[in-house]
Amino acid sequence: MTQLTQGYPISSLVREDGEALSFKVHRSAYRSEEVFQAEISRIWGHTWLYLGHETEIPKPGDFKTRTLGGRPLIFCRDSSGEVQVFLNACTHRGTVLCRHSEGNAKFFQCFYHAWVFSNSGDLSALPGDDAYVDVPEFREAMRLRSVPRIQSHEGFVFIAFDPDVPDLMTHLGEAAHYMSLTAKIGPAGMETVPGVQLYSVKGNWKLAVENAMDGYHFAPTHNTFVGYLRETGFAVTDDDQYAYDLGGGHGLLILTGHNGRIGMVWEPRFGEAEKERTALKRQEMEDRLGPELAGEVADASRILFVFPNLLLFDLEALTIRQLDPVSAGQTNVRAWQFVETDEPAEVRALRIKTMVSFVGPGGLATPDDIEAYEAVQRGIEATANAADPAFDWSDMSRGMANEQKGNQGRSIDEGAMRSFWRHWATVVGQD
Amino acid sequence: MDGKKSKESAVGGRTITRHEVEDFLYREASLLDEWRLDEWFTLFEEGGRMEVATTDWKGWDSSSAGSFMCDDYDLIKARVKRLKSRKAHAENPHSRTHRMISNVLILEQGDKTVWVSANFIIHRYRDGGTYSYVGRYEHVLLIEDEGLRFRFRRSIPTMEAMDAGARLSFIL
Ligand code: FES
Ligand SMILES: [Fe+2]
Repeated sequence: MTQLTQGYPISSLVREDGEALSFKVHRSAYRSEEVFQAEISRIWGHTWLYLGHETEIPKPGDFKTRTLGGRPLIFCRDSSGEVQVFLNACTHRGTVLCRHSEGNAKFFQCFYHAWVFSNSGDLSALPGDDAYVDVPEFREAMRLRSVPRIQSHEGFVFIAFDPDVPDLMTHLGEAAHYMSLTAKIGPAGMETVPGVQLYSVKGNWKLAVENAMDGYHFAPTHNTFVGYLRETGFAVTDDDQYAYDLGGGHGLLILTGHNGRIGMVWEPRFGEAEKERTALKRQEMEDRLGPELAGEVADASRILFVFPNLLLFDLEALTIRQLDPVSAGQTNVRAWQFVETDEPAEVRALRIKTMVSFVGPGGLATPDDIEAYEAVQRGIEATANAADPAFDWSDMSRGMANEQKGNQGRSIDEGAMRSFWRHWATVVGQD
Repeated sequence: MDGKKSKESAVGGRTITRHEVEDFLYREASLLDEWRLDEWFTLFEEGGRMEVATTDWKGWDSSSAGSFMCDDYDLIKARVKRLKSRKAHAENPHSRTHRMISNVLILEQGDKTVWVSANFIIHRYRDGGTYSYVGRYEHVLLIEDEGLRFRFRRSIPTMEAMDAGARLSFIL
């Protein structure tokens, strides 16, 4: 079936011309509810999605509720310690089963007619069961509905609403390695902490992806943040930093000159005590991982995008950011601080202060990113159905010539955006 | 009770009236609404801190959990400098903000500091959008002869999440 979007089938919303070194995205891809519906069914309905981290629910019975792809879910650890993900709807008549955002429970009781489900999904109490014929069979049929697929990598839990998706590791491909690098930072592992930033932006989810994969914007958009770093004694550079197409729509920026890395690459704003600790921690990492792997984990910052909704910022410190599209023009965002388990309290405090001051809707930098995607979302209304249809395309050709010569794309080019959009077109554009 | 400083206080300090706290908070609100940020910054004692809690806040300290803002004194200063720059794109042009403060309470009066709480509603307008931020302040104020200053300024949003477009590019 051909989906028409202002005259263009979805498959033709991304136009690449290698000879002309041209790469364009039609702006209806960000605006159109029709495209959005196609994304919800073809991406959110049929791809692995990042749901949450196992350390959000460390103890048996711990649960969080959250919505993903429009579906309310229960993310919990059952009494035997297994991670479970259920559709948060009573199997009786569909009431939201758990109306708390988090907690610890052995059972979830629906308030409507008082059916009770265990945290592993059994229908364990059915009031007035004498009115049903074959009770054991009925109970079995009315178990709480699990999402069809649940798998995790390094504690990152992914789900799929399509039972037939390939294995998570197949989906993650090369991205899995970079998640593993980040997971190796702490000798006792890594964990999320409470204090989750829940916010929402008036912009299409793909603008948030582009922004994270876009080193070109850093200097002009974050002028004031770069100025702040300069005053603390650190000079940001964009030189010799590259973007990588990891396949499957996943992308990566490896940044060497953007910032220090707490415990790994010192910069003046971390303070003198941290300087000494950094040397010790680097030694610890070399002993534990070997010099080569330790260098790969520690030396460079990374921004990893796992298609379609996970951004892992491994910078001064770490933030996990999850995108949850609401409509073509609105995206809910959740962000967690990701920290080393059992690190000293003063390092934890420094880490959180440093990361929150940069990344997040109250930081010194992220508000300008949000301004950018919100301003794009408003701006692209100007060219909708313009007299000249050529006006309604956004350009992402930066660095194509360099790439065609066989050079690694720079972080300040647009290669990581192009690989995202190419994959998007193959997934959403199947006509 | 009038707003004059009463001398009949606890050891060494002076008793702070709610009236004085209200004046302090109202004045702060108007400095922020008028974007007089240099003057606003002088309301902090040296070494003062500022936090904006996340919406899942359960009383924890921002040194062990995430938050929307956890600025030490240097970061508050950097934030003020940034917000005054034309290159702080998220606030150029500035949002229009309109702050209402009420339900001011003195939670605990100490010798050198007073712990206060208040409710706030901040309406913010920008780019045709209207946003309301509803929450509570819980501040530790330093008692000085000439008035009060922030030792620790904490905003605690009541909302379940920041609504679409309701970023925290300004001072909550
Ligand atoms: S809808 Fe849940 S018990 Fe009836
Ligand atoms: Fe940015």
